[in-house]
Amino acid sequence: MKALITGAANGLGRAMTDQLLEAGHEVWAVDRDTDALDDLAIKSRGSCRVVLADLANPSSIQRLLRDVKDVKFDLVVLNAGISATGRFEEIPGAAYEKLIAINLTAPLVVASQLMRQNNMAPKSQIVFISSLSHAVGYPGASVYAATKDALAIYAKSVRKPFKKRGVGVTAVFPGPIRTEHAERYSPKDAKANKRMLPEDMAKLILKAASKGKKELYAGKGAGAAKFFGKLAPNMMSKMMRKVIFDKLDSNTY
Amino acid sequence: MARRELKSRNVLITGATDGLGLELAKAYASRGHRVVATGRQLLSNDLDFFGSPNISYIRADQSEPEAAARAIAQAMEKFQWQSLDLAILNAATGWTGHAADETPEQISDQITINLTAPVLISKAIAPLLFAAKGQLVMIGSTAAKGQSQFATYAATKAGLEGFVRSLREEWRTRAHVQIIHPGPTRTKMHAKAGLKTGFVRMFFMPTKRAVRAIQRSIRNRDGKRVLSKTYGWSSIFSSAKEGEL
Repeated sequence: MKALITGAANGLGRAMTDQLLEAGHEVWAVDRDTDALDDLAIKSRGSCRVVLADLANPSSIQRLLRDVKDVKFDLVVLNAGISATGRFEEIPGAAYEKLIAINLTAPLVVASQLMRQNNMAPKSQIVFISSLSHAVGYPGASVYAATKDALAIYAKSVRKPFKKRGVGVTAVFPGPIRTEHAERYSPKDAKANKRMLPEDMAKLILKAASKGKKELYAGKGAGAAKFFGKLAPNMMSKMMRKVIFDKLDSNTY
Repeated sequence: MARRELKSRNVLITGATDGLGLELAKAYASRGHRVVATGRQLLSNDLDFFGSPNISYIRADQSEPEAAARAIAQAMEKFQWQSLDLAILNAATGWTGHAADETPEQISDQITINLTAPVLISKAIAPLLFAAKGQLVMIGSTAAKGQSQFATYAATKAGLEGFVRSLREEWRTRAHVQIIHPGPTRTKMHAKAGLKTGFVRMFFMPTKRAVRAIQRSIRNRDGKRVLSKTYGWSSIFSSAKEGEL
């Protein structure tokens, strides 16, 4: 099997990459972190194809699409993402532009162009990594929440048209994971042991993708969050404000 | 009419040269409110175009979000507005077709104009909104629930809804943030986005009615409001030619 993973060098993306490589699959690992990509290339003893790309840069995305032009992928995981947390009005506009470019524009462009270029093998799967914030809201990261909601609805919108061309779409809504990303953007007193291990999350996502599942809510309390988020959306975002926004003492972007 | 309508207020409306934005600008101006209307066109004469001295037009092309936000903030400074009572962020663009046929430019244009620009404009007007404890209103779309014919457009509108949901909590004590999702309306939006609507246009909500429903939702300070529930069979008794290109 051939897989393409964005944001593959660290965190959840790295865990998925490692597991696929271990199972003997061919992985195209896309990231902007050169050190981590080197590490990936060395540890996989050259079996992983590392691709340096900055998904905030449209011409870098175009180069990536040219590089993979003749490859047929069985699995594409659009996982790369950043955040910006703090008081909405205090974070610089440029940080929001970058956040939207990486979290939203890049996955939409990559997914649609891989379809257009005929890069997807028959019965292949595209996985969009949204967030549990889709169910509960995310005061203190309203633009991050916007990109993840947009991603969820894009996945839902293209599911039928892509299916007609033989490509399945999975939307994943992960709860907190124990990665550097989560560490960086969470309130200081947040407990790391309440977050799921990236390896466990990776396993669940790859399993859902191989089964062609439409949606996956995963992580501690994800099921309950989805249920109450739909039942009482305002109450849930109020609660999120208390547990996150009110505790953020600095802006991180 | 509610009592607070008597006072003249400061209103910002984006995308006000056409469709819902234009009708909203005229409606607020006719009640004596001061309106700053934005669009990307170059207008030779604001008064001729809008027919009201209460409307000041400024050019703010949302395909350049930073510049658009700056232009809006500067205009308010020029007019010496100390506060902003109501901002309706309505400007949007669309594209329809198979999601695999959408070009990177079409995708990024829609995201920039429909999502990035409202985010940066909200940030730019935040101090004036806080000063009035004002109202920030996003115009979404019923497509925000997902639409296979215009996937990116639907995504940008869902993005706005997610933005509003979280920001409303953040700003709870400082300003009211809400989203209104109009259903299909008889504006030129569909033609501009390349969608042929055909006879179903009969069932679209007349623009004037949509505008009244939007104003009602603003008066009620709804959190989220979906307009399509308020239209239906009665639409067929009015002219479906409205807004056709």
